[in-house]
This record gives sequence, C-alpha cells and structure tokens, in this order.
Amino acid sequence: MEKTRKSNKRLQTAKELSRVVADYYKECGAAKADGRPVGWMPPMNGAIEIFYAMDLQPVFPENWSPVCAAFGLTPDNFDVSEGMGYSRDLCGYLRNIIGYVNGPINDPSFPLGSLPAPDIILSPGGGCIPVMKIFHALERRFPEAKVLTSDLPQVAVEDIQEHHIKYAVEQINRLVAFLTEVTGRKLDMNRLSEVVQLSDRACALWDEIMTYRRFIPAPFSAAEMGIMFVMVTRQGTRIAVDFLEKVLAEIKERAANGIGVIENEKIRLFWDNIPLWYNMGVFNYFEKMDGVVVAETYSAAWSLRLDTSNPIRALALKSLMSYPLVSCVSIKKRREMVLKACRDYHIDGVVLHRNKSCVPITLGQMNIKKELEETLGIPSVIIDADHMDDRNFSTAQFQTRIDAFMETLHAKKQSLAMKIP
Amino acid sequence: MAVSVTSPFVQALNTHAETLTSLVEEGRKAMGYFCHYTPVELIHASGLIPVRISGGPGDVEMAYNLAPDFICPYMKRGLEKALAGNYRFLSGLVQGYTCDIACGMANIWADNIDGDLFHILPLPYEDTEESRRYLQIEYRNLIDKLSDLGGNFSDSSLEASLDIYARIRTHILEFYQKQFEGKLPLSSSELWQVIQAGFVSVPETYLDMLEELQAELISLPVPDPTGVPVLISGSLIESPNILDFLESRGGRIVADDLCSGMRSASTTSRSSSDPIERLADLHFNRFPCPSRSRAEDRLPLIQQLIEKSGARGVVFIFQKFCTPHLSDYPFLSDQLKADGIPSVMIELDESWQADAQMGTRLEGLFEIIEG
Repeated sequence: MEKTRKSNKRLQTAKELSRVVADYYKECGAAKADGRPVGWMPPMNGAIEIFYAMDLQPVFPENWSPVCAAFGLTPDNFDVSEGMGYSRDLCGYLRNIIGYVNGPINDPSFPLGSLPAPDIILSPGGGCIPVMKIFHALERRFPEAKVLTSDLPQVAVEDIQEHHIKYAVEQINRLVAFLTEVTGRKLDMNRLSEVVQLSDRACALWDEIMTYRRFIPAPFSAAEMGIMFVMVTRQGTRIAVDFLEKVLAEIKERAANGIGVIENEKIRLFWDNIPLWYNMGVFNYFEKMDGVVVAETYSAAWSLRLDTSNPIRALALKSLMSYPLVSCVSIKKRREMVLKACRDYHIDGVVLHRNKSCVPITLGQMNIKKELEETLGIPSVIIDADHMDDRNFSTAQFQTRIDAFMETLHAKKQSLAMKIP
Repeated sequence: MAVSVTSPFVQALNTHAETLTSLVEEGRKAMGYFCHYTPVELIHASGLIPVRISGGPGDVEMAYNLAPDFICPYMKRGLEKALAGNYRFLSGLVQGYTCDIACGMANIWADNIDGDLFHILPLPYEDTEESRRYLQIEYRNLIDKLSDLGGNFSDSSLEASLDIYARIRTHILEFYQKQFEGKLPLSSSELWQVIQAGFVSVPETYLDMLEELQAELISLPVPDPTGVPVLISGSLIESPNILDFLESRGGRIVADDLCSGMRSASTTSRSSSDPIERLADLHFNRFPCPSRSRAEDRLPLIQQLIEKSGARGVVFIFQKFCTPHLSDYPFLSDQLKADGIPSVMIELDESWQADAQMGTRLEGLFEIIEG
C-alpha cells in the first residue's frame, strides 16, 4: 500500500463528483466577474444558507485543504507555513491553508483555478481553536477584506437552552446586517425560506442515504465519503439536492439488488475521526480481508434537519449544534451517536483514528472505546495518523495493526458462528 | 532573607492537598478549575473553595489510557494526578471553554473522576450588549448548579468575593510593578511561588499572607540587577526550575505574560450596583489568552509590558502542543523583531527539564541583545 493513494470508488454518482467539485470552484473563480462578492468562512454553520440566499459566493478554506491533499500539494504548503514559524505540531488544516495563501494562491497553474481572494471574511469566535487561528491568519493575509467576528459559544448539544438559541439568532441577524452593509444587498426572506428548504431537503436525502448503510452487504463504503462535498459547499442549493437524489437512487438500486462494495463482505467496520485526505485508499485496504468500512463519525455533522417554518432559528440551531456534535464539546452525545451507528449498521469492529491534526475529535475516543467494548462487546483498534500530514502516518504500522485487528475480528466471528447450533 | 518571607507560600503550596482535605472533612467544599477564565468569585461566593488544578513535573502513565500524548503537559499531568486520587477533595470542576483541550479534558474528568458537578461554561468572545446579557444567564445557571451542591449564594456574598479577589489582584500587580522598576526583593521563582499559592489556598487566608508579605518586603534590600532583562511569554509555568535555569544562563526576568503569572491578575471591573455585571466586566477586561483573542490584540499589551519593564528580549516558553500559543508565535515574534526586540521560543514537556540545547539558545539570545 502506498503512503498516498486515492480510493477505488464503486458508485457511478460518486465518480460524477469530480465534475461537481470542478463546477463549484469554477463558480468561485467566476464570482467576482459576475459581481458576486466572495466570502471566506468556516463550514458547519448557517452562514452558507445566508450567503446563497443573498447571492454571495461562499468559500471554505477548511474544505480546500482536503482538495490540496487529494492533489498532493500539501507538502509544498507545509513548507511555506513551517518556514514562517508555524510548528509541525499544529493542525494540518491550519498549516496547509496558511502555507497556501502565503504561497501558491496566485499560481495560475494551481488545480481547479485556485481560490479567489476574499472580499469578506467571517472570522469565528467559537468552533475549534485551529479554525479560529486560521481565520486570524487570513485576516492578516487579506487586510482589504471586510471582517465580521462571529460569536458562538461552544455548548454541548444536550445542554442547549433557549438563551443559547436566542444568542445564536442574534448572531445570524448580526451577520445579515453586516452583509447588507458591506455588499449593499438585502436578504429576501422568501428566498431564504427557499434556500433553507433546499438545505433541509439535502439533509433529509443525506439521512436517507445513510440509512442504506444498514444493508448487508453495504451498498457503499467510507471510500465514497467525498460525496459529503455537497453538504459542505452546496447546502441550500438545487445542485446539492439533485446530486444527492442521484446518489440515493443508485444506492437504493444497489441495495435492492444486493450489490455490495465487495463480493464477500464478512466484516463491517466503523471509522472514527476525519479520514486521511491524502490516502483515501486506506478504506479499500480492508477489502482484501473481506472488510468494508460501512460508516464513519464525520458524516453525522451533516444530518441536522432544519425547521423550515422558522429559517433564522433553524440556521441558529444548526450553527450551535454542528461542531459540538463531532467534537469533544459533547463527548457524551458523540459516544451515543457512535454506539447507535454501531447498532444500526451491524458493526463488527471500530477503527479509532488517533488524529494528530484534530485533538477535539480525538479527545474522548478512549471513553468511546471502553463503552463499545463494555456495552456492545465491539472490539476496536487505534491507529496513529493525521488527516493532513502524511509524515505522521506510517503505512507499515497501519498495515500491521489492521491485519492483526482483522484477524481478531474474523476469529471472533467464526467462534460466534460455531456457537450457533 | 527572601526565603523566609516566601516560606508561608511555599508551605501552602506543599501542603495544600492536606489542608484542603481537612477543610472538606470539616464540611467545606472545594471546586476545581483549569484556567482563570473560570469565574472563581462566583464559586467562592457560593461558599466553595476554588482550586486551580496543577500538573507539575512528573510522569504520565494512567492518563494515556484516556487521552492522546499530543496534548499539553499541564492537562496530561492534571489528569494523571486526578486518576491517582490526588484530587479526591474536589467536588468537581467548573471550566470555561477556553482551549479545545480544557473543554475535552473537563468532559473526560466528568466521565472518569468522582465528583458531583462538572460544568463547562460556554463563554462569549465579543463584548456586546447581547453577549453580556447572555453571559449573565450563564452565570445564573452556574449559581443554580452550585446551589444544588449546597452552595449558599447571595448578591452580597458575591460583592464580598469580588472585593477579596480584587484586593488579591491589586497586591499581585503591585509586585509586578516593583519587578518592572527593579525594586522587587524577590527572585522570579519566589514570585512564582507566591502567585501559585493563591491558586490552591482559601482566598481570605491568602489575602492575609499577601498583606503580611507586602509589609515585610518594605524592609528587604533589593539585590543589584544582573543579567539581560527579558519578558517571558506563554501559558503556565509549572516548575520554578525553568525560571532559575533561564536566569542562570544570563537572563533576568523583568516581566511576564503568563496565565500562571501576571495574566491571572490582570483584569478590572467598573464599580456597579450589580455584582453580576462586575463579574462580566472581569471576563471581558482580561489580559487575553491567545485561545480567546487575536495575536493583534495581545501584541500591544506585550509591547506595553516591554516598555514598562525595560525588557530587551522575549523568551516564549510554551508547553508542548499548545495550539493557541504556537499559532500566535510567528506573528508575535515577527512583530517584536520589527520593534528591535529579539526573541526565542522553547518548548517543554511534562518533565519540565531544560536541556543543554535550550541553554545554548538562551545564551545565544542574551548575546545578541548584549551585542
């Protein structure tokens, strides 16, 4: 197995994803010429719907990092940021994007046309520290951009109360007022309502797609996780809905016809934490041992349905919940989510990616591991890696651990089968 | 001579576990916290003793069963000590969301350490009318939780706690003012001991100790300054040895930007009839931690400290894997360099041992400054 590798995809619609990705970045590049101001923002909040509703162009630097990883461009970006004094111990998203904006951003040969410079920056107070620091560095790099510092205290999902929602609603209203002031555009509430309905439709489709993971054999695996791209960049648009409808139709058909990812699926796995963006091929590694990575934590952040009758409140709630759901803000909720997924999807074993680039997701994993064993009797294995920096990933160590883990899972399954009369 | 005036503080530090255990056995309650964004006044006003968790130098073994190795030594060691039973006297933890690790670790404590209350306070970042309203509701929620624990809160008890802590902060800032002026008859490690003792002592007792120390300092001679004056910047220093090491290599610490140092005392509140408003002031007026601010907000404050103290260089002393400080370091060091202030960055693990390479780098900095 190579250190960096793309995954083998089975879904025809997932293969269409490259067009969807290219179209999005083409649209970003054309935005200024088309008269649409460009705003850089963190993902997983309600700003995207506001942007699409106001016909502004949202750009997600965090999401650009996996794109750079897929093209093998992160090492050069790391060189730039590390040369500036950023420690190798910092999150890979941070080092990549700071390296990129201070390095090759204006290189015309950069894949997908590179990113357009921001007219607007939404700088988060809230979320994780690396993302907050990324945006501080972006403010420094693009001093001409208009900046809004958002303020969204991190509260565990199970502790959200009315005053949290009220505060988040005030923040959404503040964002709208700011965008109106700096772009001269007004938010049409009917248009926002349409956008939120599309966003909720995408979430509903996403949820439905995820339910097909309970089928044995699994009609698709974590290797196809790239479909999440539309949930990050296209929420609130017809593009996301159309794409996900196609994905759903294909998955339904595969499930109905018993078509799995591999012919002889014996072991079903769950992946916790962000994938290795430079080596999505690791998901295929399990297949030679009849294993399929059926589900993963990261996809859960996009399963938040929106109350379309109250768009602003719905976006406030989405903004409050997305980050805590997948991080250490709400370890309890995350643990429940992982356990539920393991039950629903008939999981045999869990791979816990101890991710040097993401401490908020890594913290709490050991409690999840313990609970999996004690409550569900599901074994798990820890692999040490990094979602962005392949220097923190050892192929040999990964293979050794996974080979041994898969052997254990096969043996366990065999012994269970022998006990059944 | 200085050893004798700080010995009550050294003793308070060395015996705090026994002291607090006795108090708890007598019916008091103690509440842990990680950093000074926790409203200690509110805990104290509810009748509990706020106790800052310490890590300190040592090994990490049990904590690795619950947390990865790539988090700061402070959090690893704090958890290690809790798992070893060193914090049995606590009734739980109250921690504001400052850095990601503080939040995650509070949740890990909640799952693995005995206690009645583990509360994470979702703190606002921006100082606005709305955020102040929001913060006051959060404070009221915390008061309710502390009351459920047997706390006995009233507005007048909060007034009293605010006053006690304000007096403590005033004393500490006076020590720093003397340090800026070269008139503090304490070494940096002695000042460190004085401040750390406050994190684990009953505030009323600590205030008495500070007042006594202030009186005694007047008669102490101030040693002639030697060494290159520097400011140290970072999060927590958990061993005074590193300060002695720095000074043994030719430096002289004249100011700090540390959350275990001056930052813990640097905040103010307006006089207001509403004590909760005063508490909110303290939150928003803090000398900010990099986990809650831009480097651009911290730079002028560091520049002021340099100017006041006459520091000619900066030593960034970071705990390994400290994302907030490591993220701000490139900008801060560049800006200071542009001001003609050279700096060096050293990172320390849970052993808190300085090595020869660090010594060489420090000596290099001091030589550059001295030309």
